[in-house]
Amino acid sequence: MPRARFAEILRLLAENEVEFIVVGMAAGILHGAPVTTVDLDLVHRRTRENVGRLLRVLSDLDATYRHDPRRLRPGESHLIGPGHQLLATTYGDLDCLGTIDEDRGYDELLPLSVEMALGEGRTVRVLTLPALIELKERAGRPKDLAALPVLRATLDETRRQLGRGSRSS
Amino acid sequence: MSVRSEPADASQAAPDIDENGVDRAQIRAMLARTPEERLRFVEAFVESALEIRELNAPRPVR
Repeated sequence: MPRARFAEILRLLAENEVEFIVVGMAAGILHGAPVTTVDLDLVHRRTRENVGRLLRVLSDLDATYRHDPRRLRPGESHLIGPGHQLLATTYGDLDCLGTIDEDRGYDELLPLSVEMALGEGRTVRVLTLPALIELKERAGRPKDLAALPVLRATLDETRRQLGRGSRSS
Repeated sequence: MSVRSEPADASQAAPDIDENGVDRAQIRAMLARTPEERLRFVEAFVESALEIRELNAPRPVR
């Protein structure tokens, strides 16, 4: 069974017009950081309509709570709240986060995100690399601090490349 | 955790380690990919790692 098909999860979410922002190390990877992760973290918009669309995708993905032997499924009341829903799905582990970083939800993070093309006309919103770095600096856990040198170097390389691009155009 | 397997398109690139121990050549190889390709590259790595972990998981004693 496939266990890490993050691109497939993003494709399904985009196809079903779910509003969300990719955060965590998956955001770093999408920005080009040579890091890895075993789960996909996203912050979803907590309106009833959007949670309904998200629930349909989660049902297609057979999502259940990751650490619950009863294989409970998330419901609207879980996803409408600010908490973290840690799920196991057909395509790998997926964390649906109501808020991150001291109550910042989708609407607060939207200005700190960029739209990224994922092929076949699909786009997803991804937390910017400077915002991800700032978030990890504030979180300050050992695993966040360990990722910072690679994320900072990726931002530096990206800026260098953009600088070269603008000089050549 | 850094991705250790060398991307195919970086096979020609020598390591370029900065003052923090980060290999800039790996970053440039990732930046040369599209966002979807970056994700699929990591997926392949994670799949392999999970497979190996599963193979080596402790088995229940009968």
